Amino acid sequence: MRAPAGVKVQFTGGQLQEVRRLQALYPDKRAALLPVLQLAQAAFGYISLEAEEYVAGLFDLSPAHVHEVVTFYTLFFREPKGRHVVSVCHNLTCHLLGARRVLAYLKERLGVEVGGTTPDGKVTLLSVECLCACEMAPMMQVDDRYEGHLTPELVDRILEGLG
Amino acid sequence: MPKLTIDGKEIEAPAGTNLIEAARRLGIEIPHYCYHPGLSIAGQCRLCMVEIGNNPRPQIACNIQVAEGMVVRTETAKVLATRQSIMEFHLINHPLDCPVCDQAGECWLQIYYMKHGLYEPRMMDEKVHKPKAVPLGPHVILDAERCILCSRCVRFCDEITGTGELGIFQRGDHSEIGLFPGRELSNPYSANVIDICPVGALTDRDFRFAVRVWYLETAKSICPGCSRGCNIEVHYNLRRPHHNQGRRVARLKPRYNREVNRWWICDAGRYGYKFVDDPSRLLLPARRADTQADEVVWEEIIPLVAARLSAYRPEEIGVLASPQMANEDLFLLRRLVDHLGIPNVDFRVPSRASGDEDRILIKADKNPNTRGAELIGLGPRPGGLDARGVLRAARERRIKCLWVLHHDLLLSAWPEEETREALRALDCLIFQGSNANGVSPSAHYVLPSATWVEREGTFANFEGRVQRFWKAVEPVGAALPDWEIIGRIGEALGMGPLPATAEAIFKALAAEVIAFRGLSYRELRDAGKPVASS
Amino acid sequence: MAELILTRNFHRPDSHALRLYQETGGYEGLQRVLALPPVTIIETVKKSNLRGLGGAGFPTGVKWGFIPKGHPGPVYLVINADEGEPGTFKDRYLLERDPHALIEGMIVSAYAIGSHLAFVYIRGEYVQPWRRFARAVEEAYAAGFLGRNILGSGFDLDVVVHRGAGAYICGEETGLISSLEGKKGWPKLKPPFPAIRGAFDAPTIVNNVETICHVPHIVQRGAEWFAALGTATQGGTRMYSVSGHIRQPGVYELPVSVTLRALIYEHAGGLPDGRRLKAVVPGGSSAPILRADEIEVAMDVDGLKNAGTMAGSAGVIVMDETVSIPEALMVVARFYAHESCGQCTPCRESTGWIFKMAQRIVEGKGRKEDLDTILDVARRGAGTTICAFYDGAVGPYISYIEKFRDEFEALIPK
Repeated sequence: MRAPAGVKVQFTGGQLQEVRRLQALYPDKRAALLPVLQLAQAAFGYISLEAEEYVAGLFDLSPAHVHEVVTFYTLFFREPKGRHVVSVCHNLTCHLLGARRVLAYLKERLGVEVGGTTPDGKVTLLSVECLCACEMAPMMQVDDRYEGHLTPELVDRILEGLG
Repeated sequence: MPKLTIDGKEIEAPAGTNLIEAARRLGIEIPHYCYHPGLSIAGQCRLCMVEIGNNPRPQIACNIQVAEGMVVRTETAKVLATRQSIMEFHLINHPLDCPVCDQAGECWLQIYYMKHGLYEPRMMDEKVHKPKAVPLGPHVILDAERCILCSRCVRFCDEITGTGELGIFQRGDHSEIGLFPGRELSNPYSANVIDICPVGALTDRDFRFAVRVWYLETAKSICPGCSRGCNIEVHYNLRRPHHNQGRRVARLKPRYNREVNRWWICDAGRYGYKFVDDPSRLLLPARRADTQADEVVWEEIIPLVAARLSAYRPEEIGVLASPQMANEDLFLLRRLVDHLGIPNVDFRVPSRASGDEDRILIKADKNPNTRGAELIGLGPRPGGLDARGVLRAARERRIKCLWVLHHDLLLSAWPEEETREALRALDCLIFQGSNANGVSPSAHYVLPSATWVEREGTFANFEGRVQRFWKAVEPVGAALPDWEIIGRIGEALGMGPLPATAEAIFKALAAEVIAFRGLSYRELRDAGKPVASS
Repeated sequence: MAELILTRNFHRPDSHALRLYQETGGYEGLQRVLALPPVTIIETVKKSNLRGLGGAGFPTGVKWGFIPKGHPGPVYLVINADEGEPGTFKDRYLLERDPHALIEGMIVSAYAIGSHLAFVYIRGEYVQPWRRFARAVEEAYAAGFLGRNILGSGFDLDVVVHRGAGAYICGEETGLISSLEGKKGWPKLKPPFPAIRGAFDAPTIVNNVETICHVPHIVQRGAEWFAALGTATQGGTRMYSVSGHIRQPGVYELPVSVTLRALIYEHAGGLPDGRRLKAVVPGGSSAPILRADEIEVAMDVDGLKNAGTMAGSAGVIVMDETVSIPEALMVVARFYAHESCGQCTPCRESTGWIFKMAQRIVEGKGRKEDLDTILDVARRGAGTTICAFYDGAVGPYISYIEKFRDEFEALIPK
């Protein structure tokens, strides 16, 4: 997936300074690859192949080795995502306490399948492994926040609160 | 050196040796996929499990080094059961496509399944699907479903070439090897990944579907592609002559030599053999008058060439030997030149294309035997002309007869028109070589040479390592080894009888040329020996 | 009610603040501790019977003792805050509610093993815990607890907070090291063990968050005190994460000698709505399941081991009588198939296959040989892999089927 036109895969001067700061934190600069990819995702919205090549250049790595890393971890998005990401836990405790109902409700409300993004680009819906908040099962992650003890009413309120 | 026992046999092995290598020394083969002695230890395939001492769990032999008093068992019931299980795991998602897989016959899944697997298949679910028949580059094609993720190819590109083109992407049973999208695997050593791939995942675009491997035979040889002298195997097909458009040589494979090329060869060398079965091969000796060329037999042409060589004064003759020729050829040629007193001898013809070189194997000198030609002494005699001087003299009609061995002078670094002028000015042009080239059409006498796979002999590489190559196939047409052509001409010129074998010539060479003193043809064995240090 | 050690401040809304931490005794004894010979600290931790609380239960002091004596180069301390074991959430509480406890633990531990650079690897999804913790690190630097010459002791320590990017396998200590080094989280071959050659090829100790939080208390109050809190082979309290069909899900800090029955019924309020217990996963999803009649067991490492399961990360998942065990197995098998790193063959190939079989069974398309195939494949694969991930998957595969075989068979068409 190529970056959409207009998204320039290029860090600003300040971001490049942050890259260098991160690289200097570790005994080997390669260790900053995950943090820099996180920075890239924040800056470019997702990690396109161009972004992988760009980051590879910042680390003197072959693009294949960056691609290995990007495809290994679930938190790197390789395609544009919605403005908000809703990740419903489907692991054991949440499953016992109704994760499937929560997910079905969200699919219906948003009109998307798991992995899909609403046509308005607002929400990407995911179904994920244990987020380690089983005490609030069934739960989900909404961007940076954990939301638990989910009911249809609560899901509605959370969705309404999203900008 | 630690002493240990493997399957009850004692062995001493240097510290640092792993158990696979230690067992190999005892003739015990511990099956493995990911381990390769030329690469780092990955420990991924889990097939090389052995029992060590009283450890209740089998351990991987690749990652355990020999230790004093260690007791290793490679054939216990537990080990055999583990191997069988691991074979099943390897084949869970492997397609059952051996009949259409080019690796069949040399596939380590097949070999080990028959030896260590033989379980009842019970995987009835849909297998994981991955990309198939994906060209990775000019030489390599990938079938990701057949891949067992041993990572040898990835490690090769990381550790040997340092190019890092390949990776293992995704995770779990969706893991697959591949390139960064849009890139290709085109480093100068790319095809080595085919050799080290234990299964049918990476196959050779040049070789695949040409010949089934069980029809192939093998001869040990030396790559003639540059002065490294990589040890190779020539795989040739005589049993199914209708396959592969009648090409006899099917492929070249690297042959391990610790001192020269270890396990690898470059792609240029690997695919550089096509001239052997090429339509451009010179099949019969020929004599040309005006524009008419007549094919003749050796018995007819040898006296004619001998007569011409003795018709000129030695200073009117030029001889351009080739560092493509074997030591045996060069030695007889030197004898003949000395016999006739020809001063204008050389072997150095600079190539127009500058040769690439790297720190791995590839040398800029694209000839296999420059060192041999130097040591045997095929340079100008005192007062004689070098190659360029010979051509200049030919233009000036001071050289009247020129004997060119193998060189395509039109591809030299010298101005092409000057060379053409020189060739046109000659009274007599003798061309000896395996294939038609820019020189051969103008030659008055054409002497067809056997290629290196059609004969035996020795080359000395850039370090002066003398290495034997063996005959794989018969020469095409009436072609003869260079030494035999030279020897027959010499015989006609009173130089003495034609030696019977390359070995006999080597013996004379070793007796006469200081650098080769003490070397014996047989004792060179597979790995060769260095010349006396000069 | 036993004394709360790690969770003593959790009820306070400002429990994460440096001021509160110091008011309740935090950093108080640090100066004294940094004057002790490091080997004394290691010996104290050994004697305390502190065992790793991330999952493996390895004696912490013994692990520290593996660092080569007088190693000339750097030594690293790495904190495993990549909490991911299904059913576990205690480290999240510690990061959010008492980050300075971890920082002080790191200072003492790093001092003991001779490390001057420590990393905290926090799972990528833990955004709020990461913010809290990173803020606490800033506070600690500002207050002179981190950096050069801590409290005039001459000891230097820098802390780097590192975020993961979504991979359960990075909770495995060598997978974590690979990930910290900027690679895929592929576990490393052992030998060499991390204490000999770990992160950046230097001797490295990887410890769980909760484990490290115990260390200052042990050094302050003595090995005997800590050992006496637990059993003969494991000292102290630990934080049990309790979830599932339970009245009061949450974190419970209790002596490790507590029984599973007491944890469920006395501390966490029992099952809701008078429902009956069917099964419990006692130590995170990798721990073999226990039936309702098997809960009279002490929750220490050896107690659970003797009961044929494991303490793991102390994530307790309670299941009532309505639960379909085949469905639970399918959910768990999906997890292991999704999280297998793909490096070594037995795990890579069979986690996916076993998930397919479990899914078919739940969908009513099982074959009568499937159950024995799963059991056989799991048993044969156990112990053959690079890391303990696969053995963790084998725990549920085998125990769910062995203990609830009738339920599986009922789903398989005759």
